[in-house]
Amino acid sequence: MRNGGDNRSRLLLVILIVTSLFLITLDLRGVAVMQGARNGAQTILSPFQRGASFVFTPVGNFFSDIAHLGRTRSQLKSLEDENAKLRERILTRKSIDVEVGQLKTVLNLAGKASYKVVNARVISQGSSASFTQTIIIDAGANMKITRDMTVISGDGLVGVVKDVYPNTSLVMLASDPSFRVGVRIADTAQIGILSGQGTSHAVLQLLDSQSSVKVGDVLLARGSQGDKPFVPGVPVGQVTYVADSAGAVSATAEVRYFAHLSSLRVVAVVVKAPAEDPRDALVPPKPFPTPTPTVTIYVTPSASPSPSTKK
Amino acid sequence: MLTRRLFLSSSIFLILFILQESLFNQVRLPLGGFSLFLIFTMCWASLSTPEVGAITGFGAGLLLDLAPSNDGPIGQWTLVLIVIGYGIAFLRYGDDSLRGSPFSLVVLVAVGVVVTLGVYLATGVLLGLDIGTGFQFTKIVIGNGIWTLVVAPFLLPLISYLHRSIFETRETL
Repeated sequence: MRNGGDNRSRLLLVILIVTSLFLITLDLRGVAVMQGARNGAQTILSPFQRGASFVFTPVGNFFSDIAHLGRTRSQLKSLEDENAKLRERILTRKSIDVEVGQLKTVLNLAGKASYKVVNARVISQGSSASFTQTIIIDAGANMKITRDMTVISGDGLVGVVKDVYPNTSLVMLASDPSFRVGVRIADTAQIGILSGQGTSHAVLQLLDSQSSVKVGDVLLARGSQGDKPFVPGVPVGQVTYVADSAGAVSATAEVRYFAHLSSLRVVAVVVKAPAEDPRDALVPPKPFPTPTPTVTIYVTPSASPSPSTKK
Repeated sequence: MLTRRLFLSSSIFLILFILQESLFNQVRLPLGGFSLFLIFTMCWASLSTPEVGAITGFGAGLLLDLAPSNDGPIGQWTLVLIVIGYGIAFLRYGDDSLRGSPFSLVVLVAVGVVVTLGVYLATGVLLGLDIGTGFQFTKIVIGNGIWTLVVAPFLLPLISYLHRSIFETRETL
């Protein structure tokens, strides 16, 4: 059947088209009824839309992600790159912060004793396989460093320069088993010899059997002849344990080094000792107890009486 | 009989319209995606006689005009869909080779969607509306056509079944 040419159908078509044109005209003329109709449609639709959006948003995002897979991936990649870069910067920053802190303390120490120092960065920790405990610093003959110079950190004695190369130096740490240093107990005249043990503790042997040592005593380097290998006055460590053996020829004690020998970042090489012995000037200050804050509350009676007190 | 047909088909369109506005519009597909409502209208009209096609276009266009997401004047979609609905039904009835061939029906629907959007844009220009850049709407129109080619074959059996059960004609694919 060919219905297209039917008169009735043409009439219907014309009526419909005229109606739609009429609607367009009404709307473009700004008749309020038309806008009202659309507002009504929105009012009816909005609960459906809200519900659908609640259910569908994750799925919609999924489709959108699929559609923009390439873009999402490249964005992800660039964000990851940026993240890695920032993390690296934070790490660098942290290590720089540590270096700055150590540098500050070592300069403080050197300044207090008026040592003339050359600062150096630790560029390598010696291998533990060789039993010797050494570090390599980035200053050598170019910085006028010579053998047997004292190396200090902000906390105290680190070791002594063992070998000098054009741009670097090898430093024997105070914890090396072959390390020996003459020490003096602060505030007294008692002297002894401290020997490294390969750990963070060393053994002190007092030379005089009559002298006494107690836990908490601070040891300072005694200084060598011609200030080599040790300049006087450098804090070395603190007595942590005293071996109380009555029959021994001399008293021995265990000492913990002030310097954290395993986490050194910046050290200073003392290139010139002060004109006079700093004596006890470098003894680290006793830890000051942190005051506990107390809170005092003043209660002022309010002007209006509370309902509970009202009878 | 007429009342029943009118009532049933307008309920179907209303439900589909609500689904389209609340659900399918949230799917973001490449190339601008497709309008299920438009595809459904095209298929429905192509299965009907020209009178029913025109009336279908009128109803569907009225609904699209009322859609809050549409910012053209009310009546624009109506006008376009009346003409296209009538035309698509007329074409299918007028040419025997198109009848009974699902593939040509799909092509007809896709062309119908593309022409609908094109005519809508054209009337928009005539009415002095802001329709965006040429690239943007070319992409949307072409994308809709491609999507319709993809989606319509899956929808046609369902639409054909619904249409048959309402109009009780012997239309088959």
